[in-house]
Amino acid sequence: MNSIQFAQTLVNGIILGGVLSLVALGFSIVWGIMHVVNLAHGAFIVLGSYITYTLYTSLGIDPFLGLPLTMITLFVVGYATERWIIHWVIRAPLMAKFFITFGIGMLLENLILQVWKADVRSVTTPYSGASLAIGGVNIPLVKLAALALSILMVIVFHLFLTRTRQGNAIRSTGMDLDAARLTGVKVAPIYALTFGLSTMLAGAAGSLVSMTTSFTPDAGARYTVYAFLVSVLGGLGNVPAVLAGGMIIALIQVFVGFYAPALKDAVSFVLLVVLLLLRPQGLFGKPFTSGKAE
Amino acid sequence: MTRGDKILYIVCGLLFAAMALLPLFGASGFLLRTITLALMYAVMALAWNFIGGYTGYSAFGNVAFFGIGATVTGVMMTKMRWDFAPAVLLGGVICSLLSFLIGPALLRLRGHYFAVATLGIANAAREIVAGWDDVTGGGIGLNLPLNTDKDFYTLIYYIFLMLTILSAVITYLISRNKLGFGWLAIRENEEGAKALGIDATLYKTLAWVLACFIVGITGGIYAYYNTAISPEAIFNPLYSTTPILITLLGGTGTVVGPILGAMILLPLSTWLLFNFPGIQPALLGIIIILTIIFLPRGLYEYLSGRRKLTLAALLKNPRDNQA
Amino acid sequence: MNTPLRLIGLTTIAAILAACGGAAAPAPTAAPAASTEKQPAQPAAASGACTISFGAAVSFTGSTAAEGKYTKDGYDIAKDKINEKGGIKVGDKMCKLDIKYYDDASSPDQTAQLVEKLITEDKVNFILGPYGSSSSDTAAAIVEKYKIPMIEANGAAESIFARGFKFTFAVLSPAGNYLRGILDLVKVKDPSAKKVAVVAETDKFALEVAAGAAKYAKEQGFEVVYNDKYPAKATDISSNLTVIKGLNPDVILGAGHIQDAILTIKQGKELGVNAKAWGFSVGPTAPEFRKSLGKDADYVLGAAQWTEELKLKGDANDPFSTPQDFAKAVRAKFPQGGYETTIPYQVAESAAAVFAFQRAIEKAGSLDAQKVRDAIAALDFDSFYGKVKFDERGINTFKPMAVQQNATDGGNYTVGPAESASKPFEYPAPAWGSRK
Repeated sequence: MNSIQFAQTLVNGIILGGVLSLVALGFSIVWGIMHVVNLAHGAFIVLGSYITYTLYTSLGIDPFLGLPLTMITLFVVGYATERWIIHWVIRAPLMAKFFITFGIGMLLENLILQVWKADVRSVTTPYSGASLAIGGVNIPLVKLAALALSILMVIVFHLFLTRTRQGNAIRSTGMDLDAARLTGVKVAPIYALTFGLSTMLAGAAGSLVSMTTSFTPDAGARYTVYAFLVSVLGGLGNVPAVLAGGMIIALIQVFVGFYAPALKDAVSFVLLVVLLLLRPQGLFGKPFTSGKAE
Repeated sequence: MTRGDKILYIVCGLLFAAMALLPLFGASGFLLRTITLALMYAVMALAWNFIGGYTGYSAFGNVAFFGIGATVTGVMMTKMRWDFAPAVLLGGVICSLLSFLIGPALLRLRGHYFAVATLGIANAAREIVAGWDDVTGGGIGLNLPLNTDKDFYTLIYYIFLMLTILSAVITYLISRNKLGFGWLAIRENEEGAKALGIDATLYKTLAWVLACFIVGITGGIYAYYNTAISPEAIFNPLYSTTPILITLLGGTGTVVGPILGAMILLPLSTWLLFNFPGIQPALLGIIIILTIIFLPRGLYEYLSGRRKLTLAALLKNPRDNQA
Repeated sequence: MNTPLRLIGLTTIAAILAACGGAAAPAPTAAPAASTEKQPAQPAAASGACTISFGAAVSFTGSTAAEGKYTKDGYDIAKDKINEKGGIKVGDKMCKLDIKYYDDASSPDQTAQLVEKLITEDKVNFILGPYGSSSSDTAAAIVEKYKIPMIEANGAAESIFARGFKFTFAVLSPAGNYLRGILDLVKVKDPSAKKVAVVAETDKFALEVAAGAAKYAKEQGFEVVYNDKYPAKATDISSNLTVIKGLNPDVILGAGHIQDAILTIKQGKELGVNAKAWGFSVGPTAPEFRKSLGKDADYVLGAAQWTEELKLKGDANDPFSTPQDFAKAVRAKFPQGGYETTIPYQVAESAAAVFAFQRAIEKAGSLDAQKVRDAIAALDFDSFYGKVKFDERGINTFKPMAVQQNATDGGNYTVGPAESASKPFEYPAPAWGSRK
């Protein structure tokens, strides 16, 4: 690997890290706070991609300009999903929550198929392949924007969760549900809000990846798996950790990918397992007490 | 054992008897294949039930061992020209060994973390098999030797039927002895169980290895039945999730739960496929959602008479489980 | 009767019904896709109403739903054309054609189930293949068991045909041949272009395409500077492309699904990877490719089993005679089918499969499975689809692959084989930075 290739691979990794973090952010928040592993997360991302696609091709709205619209739509969908479906199993055993999101994912994916059909799609704007070329190294601009958005969202959410009343209320439900209730927090709307925020972030991710890759209704599973990887590596209950997790996974992927591209996913998954065995709380998560089932 | 239990066992027994006699009464190839696949899922559900149902450790990636079993069987039969039975057995043995090696460390994890770790194992297994070209055939997969015997499909049918019955019997026997009670104790309160002197690590590992062994054997049989394997096919997540759904629907931690679940969910799924082809996944998704909301512990407790199946009882579940 | 007993009774009945339900449910109701229920063919009494029933398990839902639709349209247009002319001549009778469809949801397991159903319950005479190599593989195993001939049009993996099956035939060119046409074009146009990079998705079909391409490239005097793969369904191949960039290839060939082709172009552009020719096994010939990429699709070459611009002529018995006639008929029959700009080759090759059956049945003079099978193996004719002839393995190695190019004027033209080119091959593709 010569120095230009090293630099390019480094850039590839950091940029990919931005994308992966954005993909994983909402997932990590819901897992860390609501203790719900949202297996439908990828489907929500894909929904975001399709909405962006429709806004662009039918209404001519640029994906970045349409981002707020996509995000709001996904927020509403997520809020409704939590309020009317997931809400009923919050206190049920673990597998119930796992599986209800699985069922939601199946349903959502098929609904997307009914509306948009199975054709492979991608959003290509005049600028979507643009990159900044600096001395033999190309920096893709749309993905750079994803990184920027990721950092922005991480900062916004970190501040929101730690500095605002609503955010503190959300965090308190994650720490101790009954205590939170005792302090007057209305749990049901909080949960719906949290889930809505997570799908909103999924929508943002979907918007951005719609420009960098292609998608079909069933493309969500990949993203969910990456969300797992990043969340576990970074550690739950810690928003900035998602960025770290995303970066590290991405860098591993691109450097391993340079030498043995067929094995890059294998390495990532083995890493995930090893990590869980040795340090389940990830790099920056709170060590969890072994007695408490998460 | 309640009276309801006894009746359920009799029902299952009758079901098995009917299935055993079916080929003799000229059932079509399609019917046999459909039931064979249902039985395959039933076996995997019963296997999952050991670790997920009784012990409470929801493994979400059992397809890893299905795929490993299929791969081992495929490799031994094509490259080493082994016969079917030893190849499948070796697959089961290798799965047992691998699960035994990773078990104690893996089972220190709880809840979500355990589930995600198993998911990671499934993905890792797929990628490793897909990347190990020289041994496993890589992304292209392997073509197994063809069995031209005209009764081959019927043979596989009976093999899966036997496996289902065997797994059910094993479940029954274990459920009545110390191991079974130990599992339940671990599920309900692991620390408490340890305090009572139960070697939780040993018990958990046993459940885990047993489950993986059975799933590995199933994968090996499937490979031969299907005559060809490829990583994408044998590591299909559906082989992880369907057995869990079946058990959830039927009733976790029970002997007949997985069987009932299989006999209800799978024909239902096929029926939906034929009658609502485009939207079958959506309908299945809705059924899953409704089941989890209204029947979180599965149908077993109602069918065995432990609880009355009334509208009020159904509605109580979501009310109890809401935030 | 107390509650548990009632429940158990209901469950038992339900379970037993359900167990048979898998079989009972489909039979009385209509098949999911439009197809009438017909009895299997019995050359009837001299009043002559007989039907030959074909069965096909095709993906109408799932990951290959789009291609499944093309397949069905191809089967249907052939069926209608044959029936218009009275049907297939079996001995001294004219028998109409009927096709029974099931949706295999892009799942090979389901394909196996459904093909077995078609054979053992619906008792069809013959099987038309599913879409995709994996599904075709499982179907091939089933038809071999029951000794029912199958002609498939959409499973090009040669591993299917390495298994010694006698009852499966494929009218399409094998996977290994896919990228040959592109290499041929470059070699003629620019003999100085020597360096080829091959990148493939880890997928049964794609890997065969890549292996075949690398082998052919070497044989033709190219230097294969890169031949590697990436995990299935990858969403980021920047690593592969970074390495490729450093090797400065003249030609970049990709094997995978349409998603991979789109991804390679998108990331190729982002990373400033340039080549004089970009070619993919699957993708560039589909309308979605251009729709997804806009101007970035310019210059990209795609392998095609068939295009409507080819200068082919079928023999005297060929119902459509030329690709242009076929294209016209498809557009007339499926005005809303999305066929305005391109006819995907899956439509043509699927139709070809039905016509191949017609010829074999007429030659055999009967519906006997073995006789028809032998007649298929001996087929050798020219059609609107190209030459149809099967090698000893059962796959059609006698038809060359065509090449299409997404041209700078927005259209999609046949540029190879050279004698069929409707527009000259645009070469070289300019560097990304210097395109307007």
